[in-house]
This record gives sequence, C-alpha cells and structure tokens, in this order.
Amino acid sequence: MPAILETRNLRKEFGGLVAVADVSLTIERGAMHSIIGPNGAGKTTFFNLLSGKYAPTQGTVFYNGNDITHVPFHQRAHLGIGRSFQITNIFPNLTVLENIRLAAQALSSVNFRFWRSVTAYPEFTRRALEVVELVGLRDAAHYPASVLPHGGKRKLELGILLAPNPEVLLLDEPTAGMASEQVPELIATIDTIRKEGGRTIVMVEHNMSVVMGISDRITVMNLGSLLAEGTPAEIAANETVQRVYLGELYGSADELVHK
Amino acid sequence: MQSWRQFLKENWFFLAVFVVLVLFPHLVGWLTESSPFGVLRGDRYIMRGESTLWQAILIESFALSVLVMSYNLMFGFTGVISFGHAMFFGLGGYIVGMLLEFPEFAGIDPALRLFIGLLLTIVICGVIGLGIGFASLRLRGVYFAIFTLAVAEMVWIYFSRFDRTNGEDGLTISQMPAWIDPSQNRLALYYVSFVIFVLTFIFIRRLVNSPTGAVFKAIRENEDRAQAIGYHTLRFKLMAITIAGMFAGIAGIIHAILQKSARPEFLNVKFTVDSLLMTIIGGVGTFTGPVIGSTGLYLLDNQLRDQVVTIGSTTIDIGDSWNLILGFIFVIVVLIFPYGVVGTYQRWRAGRKNKS
Ligand SMILES: Nc1ncnc2c1ncn2[C@@H]1O[C@H](COP(=O)(O)OP(=O)(O)OP(=O)(O)O)[C@@H](O)[C@H]1O
Ligand SMILES: [Mg+2]
Repeated sequence: MPAILETRNLRKEFGGLVAVADVSLTIERGAMHSIIGPNGAGKTTFFNLLSGKYAPTQGTVFYNGNDITHVPFHQRAHLGIGRSFQITNIFPNLTVLENIRLAAQALSSVNFRFWRSVTAYPEFTRRALEVVELVGLRDAAHYPASVLPHGGKRKLELGILLAPNPEVLLLDEPTAGMASEQVPELIATIDTIRKEGGRTIVMVEHNMSVVMGISDRITVMNLGSLLAEGTPAEIAANETVQRVYLGELYGSADELVHK
Repeated sequence: MQSWRQFLKENWFFLAVFVVLVLFPHLVGWLTESSPFGVLRGDRYIMRGESTLWQAILIESFALSVLVMSYNLMFGFTGVISFGHAMFFGLGGYIVGMLLEFPEFAGIDPALRLFIGLLLTIVICGVIGLGIGFASLRLRGVYFAIFTLAVAEMVWIYFSRFDRTNGEDGLTISQMPAWIDPSQNRLALYYVSFVIFVLTFIFIRRLVNSPTGAVFKAIRENEDRAQAIGYHTLRFKLMAITIAGMFAGIAGIIHAILQKSARPEFLNVKFTVDSLLMTIIGGVGTFTGPVIGSTGLYLLDNQLRDQVVTIGSTTIDIGDSWNLILGFIFVIVVLIFPYGVVGTYQRWRAGRKNKS
C-alpha cells in the first residue's frame, strides 16, 4: 500500500533536549496506526511536527509524496491533515455547535465574506449538526463549550477534528482524562469513522486494550526514537517492547490482545 | 411579511432608539422651549439654548461611540489588545484639520476638502493599521500592545512639535464649511454624525455576524486552535485592526469638527485608555456595550465636571478629582457587573430563559 505520510530522519530539539530523534516512519493510506510509548517519549512532539505546529530541527515530512516540511500550520488543514489535542483545545465561550461549525467553515472560501450573515451558509450548520450527532453531543449543542464536563469536552475535541472531514486524522490521546466508563463510547465513534474507510488515522493512546483492539499497526516510541513497529500481535510478542514498556506498565500484553 | 415581523421582533429596541435620536434635538427643544437651530441674531444663528447644548453632547457621544465600537471590534471580538488606538482618532482630526486650514489647499471647495479628508483618513488609517499589524501582530499579547503604544506616542510627539499645526497648542479649524460648522449649524453636524454612528453600528454588527466575524471570535477564544483547523489567523487580525483603525479615524474627524480644532491631546493615550475602560464598563464583545459605556461615562463626566460638592466644611471640586471618581466608578461597575453592564444583563437574561 502506498504511503500517505512519511517522515525521514525527523528530529526536534528543545535546547539540549532531543524530543524526537531522527524518526523515519511510514504511515500507509487507510491504516489505523497507533503510536504508544511512555510519558515524555516524544509522541505529542512528533504530532506537532506532522501537523506543522513546530518546525523540525532536521528531517523531512512527506504527504502523498510531496515534501510538506515547510508548509505552515494553518495550511496543513487545507491539505487534509487534521489533528486533535491531548490537552483540550476548544473555543470555550462559543457554543458546542459554533465550535464545530467554525471547523466546518474553515476550509471553505467564505471566510472573508464579511457582509453576509453566517445564516446565509446553512451547509456548515448542517455539517456541524451531523458531527454533533456523531460524537454524541446533540443535547449540549447550544451550551457554551466551557460548561461541558471533561468527557464532553473530549467529544467536542474530536468533533472539531471531524467537521472538515480530513483525510488524515492525528488523534493525540483522544480519551485523555476521561472517566473509564466513557471511554468505550468515544472509541466506538473512532471505530465508526475507521470503518467508513477512506481515511487514515494515527492515534496516540495510553489505553492498551483500546490500542490492541483497534489498530492495524503499532509504533512504539521511547526517548524520542522508534523502538518497534508492527501489527498488534507482533508488538505484543516483541521482547524489547515488553521489557521497556509494556511489561513494566501494563503487565503481560498478551492477555490484552487475547481478551 | 413574516420576515418583516421577525425583523421587528429582533430589532424593535434599536428602531425605537433610532427614532428617539432622530427626534432628539426637537424633543429637547420642545421640552425646554428652545430652538434646535439656536437663536437668530441678525441674519445668522448662534448656538444658544438647551437643544443646541444637548446636540453638542450627543455629537461627542456619537464620536466616542464610534471610537469605542471600533476598539471593541478589535479587543472585544477579536481579542487583540492595542494601546495605540488614539493615534487613529487623532490622525483623523489632523488630516481634516490640515486640509481645511493649510493655505496650499485653499483653492479647493471646502466641502470637497472635507470629503477628501474623510477618504484620506480611511486610507491612511487603514494603511497604518495594516503596517503596524504586519510589523507586530506576530508578537503576542502584551508585546503587541507595547509596540502599538510606542508608535502612537511617536505620532503624538511628532504633532506636539510640528510647527505647521502649532505644536502643543494645536490647530484651530476656522475654515469650516458653514453648513456643518457646529457654531453656525449644529443640527447638520448632529445628523451627519448620527448617520455615521448608525452606519458604524450596522457595519460592525453585520461584520461580527458574518463568517469573517465568526473567525474573529474564534481567534479571541483560542488562536492556536483556530490555526489548527486551517485559519490564517494573522490575516483576520490584520483585517480587524485595519477596519478598527479606519473607524477610529472617522470618529476623530467628528470630534475635531465639533471641537473646531486638532490638538495633540486627541492623539494621547488617554483616548485609548478611555476606549478600553468604556468597552469594559459597557460589555466586552457586545454590540450595545461600547455605546452605553462611552455615552454613559461621557454624560457623567459632562454633567459632574463643573459640580462642586460640599460635605460639612470640605468642598470637593468634582472636575479636579474626576479621574479619581472615574476610577471609583470603574471599580464599582466591575464589581457589580463583572461582564460590563450589557454583558452582565445578557447573561442574566439568558440564565432566566434557561430556568423557565
Ligand atoms: N515546547 C516544548 N518546549 C520544551 N520542551 C518540550 C516542549 N514540548 C515537549 N517538550 C519536551 O519534549 C519531551 C517529549 O514531550 P512530548 O510531549 O512529546 O511527550 P509525549 O510522548 O507526548 O508524552 P505524554 O505521554 O506525557 O503526552 C518531554 O521531555 C517534554 O518535556
Ligand atoms: Mg503527549
């Protein structure tokens, strides 16, 4: 399968700290690709490089075969790369619907139509209502985002990402901080999107049972470098991974895979 | 039919205020038995009587409202804090003042000069706004604010020393076209500034309710996420400060015509700070807040300034301690109305609606 995203020797340093150390990784089109690794492994920084929030110290990012290393942050969304954030990143004093409507409008050509009302463009509101439904926030659609409980904010975070219908979804710990009973619902939504097909999903996630159950491929990062890559079964069987990461944190990964 | 009803239902308040303001000079004239045209002496009117006095107060309120609405577009709706807004306000006055007074323009019809002054103000304030934005909007928050303050202070110092506009004394505007001269035909200036005020209000409301305005609010709420979803936020911020600069310049023209002068004070940071306070007191990011904040504070200032209060054996000259009183009002209002008068009222009403 052809690569949709590819990095070559991608490196990011903060002062003396190497957060991402020469990572060369290929993400295949249509894959559900998870990235796991202990805290501080460089996963979020890697996403920041893919989404253009940070410029790399060195290395290249390819998207559909084109070098996009220097394409600015806001332009990447226009290429079809969307991302969500580990730390909830929403528009707090706007309604849930308006949060998502803004994301639906962002890639259109109406952004500088300053003389017409937003109501003249119902297509974005329609899309926002669809997404609100999809992420399970219909009843809260007209509340300011700031009053949502944490779980609701995580759903909104996902909704903002989904609204413009990106080709590649970079999900940074979508369930971070959620109460465990709420996690399956959110994962089910992500699974629905995955099964619709046509999109590539890259997900950073700490919840092992989620990762093992949903992924086509898994990459393990540690101290900024790639430790291993493979199918869930290969990762679960990988001795280094077991020793460095899975073993100490989660007990036997085998159990998780076969659960 | 239906849409007309809808329109009336949503805008009855604004329409009522509109009608009152149209009739205002005549209403005051009728109530106080004074003529809205002033008093006829020989073949010309002089501006005496309650009606013309109140016209002047409202003209100044319109000018300040336009200034504060423009500040709110930037600060309240887009989240950009500038300390240089008075520069645009003062420049509008100076541009029109120089066009009317400098002998090299004497050949041009005064009404035309006024019109050219308006266009030039819009263009120059727009270009300066854009320039400042380009140079500094990449700076965030307080650094941007300091940059704008520095530029505005430079312009202020320049005009304080500019010989041709009489330095610190400022330029007296005597070559005013008679039809708009506030000491001959104040009623005309009243209606002209009223129209400008109404158009500004409508323009800003439409802009904020448009797709572009939605992006402004997104930037105010969270610029980082706005970028992440694909907005080139710098462009929208440039747009906001450019438009705000243009309207501040227009406000400055009204102010200068009413004062019949262009003085360095008009460029002073005081007008920026007033804009900020008036926005906060009225309600940040509301449509009517800036109007209520600026008119309210100006009326208070105007009515209290010459009062002397005697408590026991101490007399307090309110004019002397105005800034102290203003500070006091500010603290009280912020304590009682944490979101400004209009903002707090709106939240209170929304809260009641949710309960029922
Ligand atoms: N903007 C920054 N400036 C300086 N250091 C940073 C910055 N962002 C990340 N780091 C550092 O880079 C390293 C990798 O951080 P990163 O957030 O990418 O890890 P992570 O794998 O996402 O961890 P977690 O699982 O906790 O989210 C950490 O040591 C972190 O402190
Ligand atoms: Mg992280």
